[in-house]
Amino acid sequence: MKGSIYKVLGLLLVAYSLTYGLLTKVPDLPIIEESIRNLFYHVSMWFAMVAMMAASFWNAIRFLGTEDLAKDRRSISLAEMGMFFSFMGLFTGMVWAKFTWGAWWTNDPKLNGTAITILIYLAYFVLRNSMDDARKKARISAVYNIFAFVMMIVFIGILPRMTDSLHPGNGGNPGFNSYDLDNGLRMVFYPAVIGWILVGTWIASLRYRLKALQE
Amino acid sequence: MQKIVRLLVRFFRQEVRNSNVLFSLGLYLLGVSYLIYLLSGSTPSDSAWNTLLWVVVFFGSVQLSSRSFEFESGSYFYYYQTIANAKHTIIAKMLFNVAYMMLLSLATWALFSVFFGNPVYNTALFFIGLILGATGFSVVLTLTSGIAHRTKGNATLGAILAIPLLFPVLQLTSAINLQAIVGVTLTDAANLLGTLVALDMGIGLLAYLLFPYLWQD
Repeated sequence: MKGSIYKVLGLLLVAYSLTYGLLTKVPDLPIIEESIRNLFYHVSMWFAMVAMMAASFWNAIRFLGTEDLAKDRRSISLAEMGMFFSFMGLFTGMVWAKFTWGAWWTNDPKLNGTAITILIYLAYFVLRNSMDDARKKARISAVYNIFAFVMMIVFIGILPRMTDSLHPGNGGNPGFNSYDLDNGLRMVFYPAVIGWILVGTWIASLRYRLKALQE
Repeated sequence: MQKIVRLLVRFFRQEVRNSNVLFSLGLYLLGVSYLIYLLSGSTPSDSAWNTLLWVVVFFGSVQLSSRSFEFESGSYFYYYQTIANAKHTIIAKMLFNVAYMMLLSLATWALFSVFFGNPVYNTALFFIGLILGATGFSVVLTLTSGIAHRTKGNATLGAILAIPLLFPVLQLTSAINLQAIVGVTLTDAANLLGTLVALDMGIGLLAYLLFPYLWQD
């Protein structure tokens, strides 16, 4: 019972953001128009992805400290979930980019960051599949995971600050400025982020238990 | 310290004894540079010059790193474990690779100057950018080739692991070098240079901390 509270909460928040996100009043801006509702679906994917990757990174560090294989299973499950969110964020973003900027793909620092992130974590999965011995696999892939996460943060968190971007808050802060986000949007956006993180944690824990049963 | 120097001397001796590797790398640089010359003519624009230079250095260094731990395989692995611990090994290996990558990038610069002319206006800034870039490259490639070596897997695994991780270093370095070409002064490029130095130091430290977990059986 106690363990299911966060699952129910996550589902409720996701359901709320999916439905209320379509119903709520949004600011009427040129070009972006009603597509601003995609904020709830697209941007929350990235927040959820970074949360999953950070949790995976943390479990990789703890594995190196404890040599406990359960930590390694958590790490890979969370990374897989983060990968799912990054693909979802990519697709929702491409649709949005086509509508507002007129192209599916643009040479934008954030899009490059996404492409690199996906390549890094695909390489991580390839690395894991190239080894058999469980303990060695866990140790080596934890090393790569830690290094890769730091590089990803550099690429999506530091380099975009130094170049111009089509995204809001360009050339400076890669996040939102205080006036970019209207209070009505916040009421849906933050619950969406929290909801997706909770649901992501839930699915990752299911995958973790599945892996534990398989071994 | 003494152990690191002894390891370094050993790595250099190994390289000299297997000089065919050095020659094949030189031939790669010459061949690719001439291929670009044949295809593009002698006057690429400044940004194309910079891009091509870094593509050549990029693939050269990935190729170089694929055999970075060649002599530490099999029973040699255990031999190295007895003469030096992991921390000495990673420092010596990184220093050796930094030297090698600097040689590689300077040779590419020289070759490009011969074929396409030298558009660099601020030579000091370009040189510093090249050195810092080579350092970042060698740190990333030393760690990833160590990982690939420990999996005893195929040679392409090292490249798969390294290529996405090299992009941040590559992007910063080529931005600095482009600024050096158009003649930005050192003080104006200090922001980019500082970021690259911080990135090099950060990943160097991270590789140093992580390598002992890799270098055991």
